[in-house]
Amino acid sequence: MMDLITNLIHGFAVAMSPTNLLLCLIGTLVGTLIGVLPGIGPLATIAMLLPITFGLPPVGALIMLAGIYYGAQYGGSTTSILINIPGESSSVVTTLDGHQMAKQGRAGPALAIAAIGSFFAGCVSTVLVAALGAPLTSVALLFGPAEYFSLMVLGLIFAVVLAKGSILKAIAMVLAGLLMSMVGSDIETGQSRMAFDIPELSDGIGFVVVAMGVFGFAEIMRNLEQTATREIVQAKVTGLMPTLPDLKAASGAIGRGTIIGSILGILPGGGAVIAAFAAYTFEKKMAKDPSRFGRGAIEGVAAPESANNAAAQTSFIPLLTLGIPPNAVMALMVGAMTIHGIVPGPQVMTKQPDLFWGMIASMWIGNLMLVVINLPLVGLWVRLLRVPYRMLFPMIIIFCSIGVYSLNNAPFDVVLTGIFGLVGYWLAKHDFEPAPMLLGFVLGPLMEENLRRAMLIARGDPSTFLTRPISAGLLLVALLLLVVAVLPMIRQKREEVFVESDA
Amino acid sequence: MGGVEPAAAQRKSAVIRNPQDFYGGLALVGLALFALWASRDLPGMHGFAFGPGTAPRLFAILLGIIGAAVAAIGFFTNGPRLEHYAIRGPLFITASILVFAATIRPLGLVISSFATIVVCAAATSEVRWIETFIWAAVLTLFCSLLFPYGLNLPMQLWPRF
Repeated sequence: MMDLITNLIHGFAVAMSPTNLLLCLIGTLVGTLIGVLPGIGPLATIAMLLPITFGLPPVGALIMLAGIYYGAQYGGSTTSILINIPGESSSVVTTLDGHQMAKQGRAGPALAIAAIGSFFAGCVSTVLVAALGAPLTSVALLFGPAEYFSLMVLGLIFAVVLAKGSILKAIAMVLAGLLMSMVGSDIETGQSRMAFDIPELSDGIGFVVVAMGVFGFAEIMRNLEQTATREIVQAKVTGLMPTLPDLKAASGAIGRGTIIGSILGILPGGGAVIAAFAAYTFEKKMAKDPSRFGRGAIEGVAAPESANNAAAQTSFIPLLTLGIPPNAVMALMVGAMTIHGIVPGPQVMTKQPDLFWGMIASMWIGNLMLVVINLPLVGLWVRLLRVPYRMLFPMIIIFCSIGVYSLNNAPFDVVLTGIFGLVGYWLAKHDFEPAPMLLGFVLGPLMEENLRRAMLIARGDPSTFLTRPISAGLLLVALLLLVVAVLPMIRQKREEVFVESDA
Repeated sequence: MGGVEPAAAQRKSAVIRNPQDFYGGLALVGLALFALWASRDLPGMHGFAFGPGTAPRLFAILLGIIGAAVAAIGFFTNGPRLEHYAIRGPLFITASILVFAATIRPLGLVISSFATIVVCAAATSEVRWIETFIWAAVLTLFCSLLFPYGLNLPMQLWPRF
């Protein structure tokens, strides 16, 4: 306990340095901005800003990038509430009740409760990250290659189970991602694999290239298909303060949202989007009168907004302690750490205490900044939302293009990103989820390395994964998860087939 | 997602019940076969040690099996019909990205950015040309200041002769 406090104090000392404070502020501001603007998410932004962090000290760079992620969860709610379009995919459910509140002239309390909920969730999850860091790290140190491999299998299964839609298709996406990650040089022999003698591919396909193509460019192509008119709540946002009954009604929802969000954030494949959905659904099921939801229930704003913020932060736990990114944004953070020569994993905490504790402390500071700066800036965000998409997307395209190009000064990377944009568009048209693919792509090299090592140590005996207790336990959990998720789906499909053949 | 649309009920006679999944699965099988072909020359297992080709082949075969399963299920169970593909958006977006890739080296950031922005602006039918040119000029100026000067990235602004 004392250790925790001294460590946190050390972290605050790091995070409070003027440079880091400034970078934290920039990160949260940029995050809020892109959170507010629909059609550009934290993933594309972090990818875009990766080259910028070259010149920064590693701690500052990661503080800024983390700020973008949780800042975006914050900003997303503003758009959801004011114009009924989710600014961020994690704020989709906030539109349901948030916009209804705004229509009833209660935009102020809706925004305020979203901010309060986010701040509370941010505080709790900061403490969680700090408290769970040390024990999980010591567990991770017991892990050998077999355990690591099984853990990653579990992580990918989580991602598959939590993805919306068909499980089989999600597994296919994971495998496609794994396969793509094999392009380039073999880790052990250095032999070129599936690179077709293209020199730019000899190092493999860049992570940013895939992420920016599938999430950035493909997203724009899809957005251009929907010419949604934006209906901004014109009335002035007045009376920010929620009333006492509001606070009472929301406090339980904030607490429950925080818990659900924190858990789903830690789980691989989870993250802010699923957390928000789960918290909303839970709140609706809990409610005495579920019909209030969708008509401006304050719990419907408080719960998902607390949950997405909590999840955004706790998803750093597996990354910082085990070195395994639980979702696509965290995978980008791995990229950012690698640029700075930091290998994510249990050794970060001992070898780079500045980074580990500084980042945790900065999360709390960042959340405080968000509350202080965000509410007064609502007017500015509303004005920004009047910028039409036809002006916004060329800006995103050019920033992304320059960003990708500047990573290696390679025009080929830009072309490849364009191709992945088309791939992402195609995936969306066939209802394939790109997130599991990206996770597979990131975990691919790590998985292969550990699989090979484990097999080598066991002298080619694959039963090593089942005879080592921790590894066997992890695989068992993965199997159980899969069975639980697949069973109802098979039953449904079978019924469908039988109904059809009867007809 | 993946729910049966009302329209799907009328297509009971259609051979392929869920074309989205069917063609999606087939494409994945294609990808798997392509990967198997691309990794055909890589050495595989060497005693009990993995060779460079082992993991790619392992994952490719798994992908092929799952892809075939997705296609098969798409063949036999109902699902949404193929979505309409837009031409204009993806075409101009991709074109603009290619323009950027082709011009950034020889022509420099200024001309390249301007051209890219103008081309991609055509991706929406809402495009207003005068506004686009002004906006492109503003963005180009911003990028030319931000990236080479603000962020110190080594970028050449003008064509090299």
